[in-house]
Amino acid sequence: MATGFTKNRLEKILSGSLSASENVEQHLSAIDKNEKNIRAFIDIFADDARKKAKEIDAKIKGRTKVGKLAGLTIAVKSNICISGKRATCASKVLENYVAPYNATVIERILAEDAIIIGAANMDEFAAGSDCTNSAFYPTHNPLDHERVPGGSSGGSAAAVSAGFADLALGSDTGGSIRCPASFCGIVGMKSTYGTVSRYGLIDMGMSLDQIGPFACDSSGANLLLSAISGKDKFDQSTYASAEAGSGAHADISKFTIGIPKEFFAGADPEVAKAVKDSIKKLEAKGAKVKEISLPAVKYAVPIYYLTMCAEFSSAMQKYDGLRYGFPANVNQNLVLAVSEAREKSFGKEVKRRVLLGTYITMKEQVDAWYTKAIDARKALSHEFDSAFKQCDVLIGPTMPTLPWKIGEKSNDPLQMYLSDILTVSANLAQIPAASIPCGMSGKLSIGLQIHANKLQEAKIFAIMKALEE
Amino acid sequence: MAEDYAGVIIGLEIHLQLATKAKLFCECPSDYRNAEINTQICPICTSQPGSKPMSLNKTAVKNLLKLVIALNGKLDPGAPIAVQRKHYFYPDLPSNYQRTSKPIAVKGKLGKIGIWELHIEEDPGRYDLKTGKVDYNRSGVPLVETVTAPDFRSPEEAREFLDELQAITNYLGNIRSEPGSMKVDANISFKGGKRVEVKNINSFKGVYTALKYEIVRQKNMFASGIAVEQETRHYDEGQGVTTGMRKKETAEDYRYIPDPDELPLVITKELIEEAKKEMPELPRAKVERFVKSYKIREDSAWVVCGELELANLFEKLAKEIDPQKLAFWISGPLKKQLNYRTLFFKESGLRESDIKTLSSKFIAGEITDKVMEQKLIEMLNAQASGKHFELKLEEVIKISDSVELEKIVKQAIASNPKVVEDFKAGNDKSLNFLAGQIMKQTKGRADAQAVMQLIRKLVQ
Repeated sequence: MATGFTKNRLEKILSGSLSASENVEQHLSAIDKNEKNIRAFIDIFADDARKKAKEIDAKIKGRTKVGKLAGLTIAVKSNICISGKRATCASKVLENYVAPYNATVIERILAEDAIIIGAANMDEFAAGSDCTNSAFYPTHNPLDHERVPGGSSGGSAAAVSAGFADLALGSDTGGSIRCPASFCGIVGMKSTYGTVSRYGLIDMGMSLDQIGPFACDSSGANLLLSAISGKDKFDQSTYASAEAGSGAHADISKFTIGIPKEFFAGADPEVAKAVKDSIKKLEAKGAKVKEISLPAVKYAVPIYYLTMCAEFSSAMQKYDGLRYGFPANVNQNLVLAVSEAREKSFGKEVKRRVLLGTYITMKEQVDAWYTKAIDARKALSHEFDSAFKQCDVLIGPTMPTLPWKIGEKSNDPLQMYLSDILTVSANLAQIPAASIPCGMSGKLSIGLQIHANKLQEAKIFAIMKALEE
Repeated sequence: MAEDYAGVIIGLEIHLQLATKAKLFCECPSDYRNAEINTQICPICTSQPGSKPMSLNKTAVKNLLKLVIALNGKLDPGAPIAVQRKHYFYPDLPSNYQRTSKPIAVKGKLGKIGIWELHIEEDPGRYDLKTGKVDYNRSGVPLVETVTAPDFRSPEEAREFLDELQAITNYLGNIRSEPGSMKVDANISFKGGKRVEVKNINSFKGVYTALKYEIVRQKNMFASGIAVEQETRHYDEGQGVTTGMRKKETAEDYRYIPDPDELPLVITKELIEEAKKEMPELPRAKVERFVKSYKIREDSAWVVCGELELANLFEKLAKEIDPQKLAFWISGPLKKQLNYRTLFFKESGLRESDIKTLSSKFIAGEITDKVMEQKLIEMLNAQASGKHFELKLEEVIKISDSVELEKIVKQAIASNPKVVEDFKAGNDKSLNFLAGQIMKQTKGRADAQAVMQLIRKLVQ
């Protein structure tokens, strides 16, 4: 993987050797050529992108100060609100919903002179792990068109991997950035919960959701993260410290790398080997390696699905056919009208999660399920806390398997849920984690995942940099 | 005849809008009354996909704490205000869940009425059933809900409590006082019977009427041998009756969950101290003090102390005017005219100097009650129509000169011979006509009693 890719491009734009307009045209022509095979986008903003590029070029020519993302193209997941554009969430419910405001991250990237190239495909309302749950069409893995790109931010990852955009924004509730980054052979990061404002990110699991960057390399991810992170009065969970995610200065020769055995338990041998080979590389650079155990990880999937579905069912309550989605037939009892509209509007996986979440928050059920999940989540977080007392980072595979074929898991939701086993813990513990390519299996890429303690993104970037060298 | 309220059990849930500039979770203005439909809205209070609530409005919290303190609620320093989501589908609720906190204080008391709990929540929008339109200007306006124990034994007790509560919030200035800013749900049952909830009563006066109606309705059902079922009823303000809404067989399940977007706000010791520091002398304490130091009657003291500005006016004037007579005047004639116009003294526009002149002249016997009332009405009417009004009493001073009065009476008798004849023929009432003529002629300056005595004397 070419390192410094994003930075080189940015330098070219700033020096004038590549204009922002030329950069946009390069991406648009790649889209023209290959989008029909990949289907990374729901909407492509060619005209807006060209217009914005001209403005930036004028600024550069006029020697006006430009932002740190000047002229770089960015694909944005379709659950992030861009004022005046559709925010579809790849759902029939929001097919015609035009966002009346910008998400905070959009305000920030625009202020840094980024160019938004399109709205990327995803699993409907982010409910899915392979981007086949889009209500419109599945996205294909650019490395192997027969296979899934991972999900739910599959369109964002595929756009970067296919050369349709320099960078992309995704959202990660249980691995939705790291999984497609791993499958598409790029870098993706979910930073500490609260480092990036969620204002304008359409809710999935509010205590888990985090917006994050995709890039070809770690410095690109770092650059985008530093642009979007920081305090926001519109999201109470955001940290006061600005740019919580930046920096890669840490010296990895002083690191202790924890290898939780549970991370390798169900992993494909080929995947496990590639990850272990990379760990050896880090060891060679002076890092200490320590085998540890995180027993609660085996409960991470049920804890995650209970927590997420409870929050998801609450968030989805507003889509009632009166305000969004297929219009309800109001000439009947309100509950019937709303039920009918919701039945017609939602996809299968969304319905499954709404029903599960509704069930486990009912008065008779809440203590047996949701309350227990909250307690178990605390226990899991505590285990990670303890691990970070002895280790700087924890490393394992991002996904236990290689990308599967499109449609292969569509009828087996449990198998799909289990593929999230290695990614959901970071969301539950609200700690940062990133995926970086660490090897190939034929055409397919293998992703390595690095976890660090809260607000220690710098350690993750340092490891990624070392692996890229 | 006093009503028979044996066995009546009443509890109230009182929703009041907290006085703030902005809404509870966003920066939109909270006063929606004169705004065009859907002009005071933003992505947050319309719950646009992706929006998140801002942290709880600090003024709303402080105003809530003041009410808690006034109702002697138990506050737990360091405890968080935990916002929850209460889920139900309704067109006025943009997210189909309402943000409502867990109880902020429990176990309060006002007089002999127990307070179960107080909590903060957001008002929904306004849904117009006729047009099917929703106005979200009200969506997100902060509310405090006060839940009383079922301690009321009659509608009168409920009215007394609400009067005091109204006085408290008037003193604290922490609650909106405009029409439509309060809503009461009343639970009414007879000992051993099923509980009926009357919803959406929009005025304190309405509570009294609704309770009276509902008690009679339930009594009539008992009398006819029909069992009262547990149900929710609607109060029809225009008709003063309650009508059936839905039978409540099982409690609704709102699927409460902690709001993941709203970080718990800690009620610190400092916050409590700050609220305490701003607490004025409350109505109950003021009434006690007035009764003790001014020797006024307790019932007039409650009326005088029902509004802070009125109580302040009393204290000021009582330095120069006989307090007992003054209290009687304020709680009687003045309050009658204000109530008639549903005005607070503060809103009436009445000038303190005018009030002082009018009440002192009346109490000193220099003007008659007719003149006093007439002048009050003129002043209030002038204020209501925005006209300038000068209080002049020189020409309306009571005719206390008996010679002058006798002259007037004689004249009236002379010019109404028919009336005198009628009287002599045995029609005693004809003298009233004569007295009326004289009162009209003197513009009320004559003392009615003295006039009557004079007529009887002179007509013989």
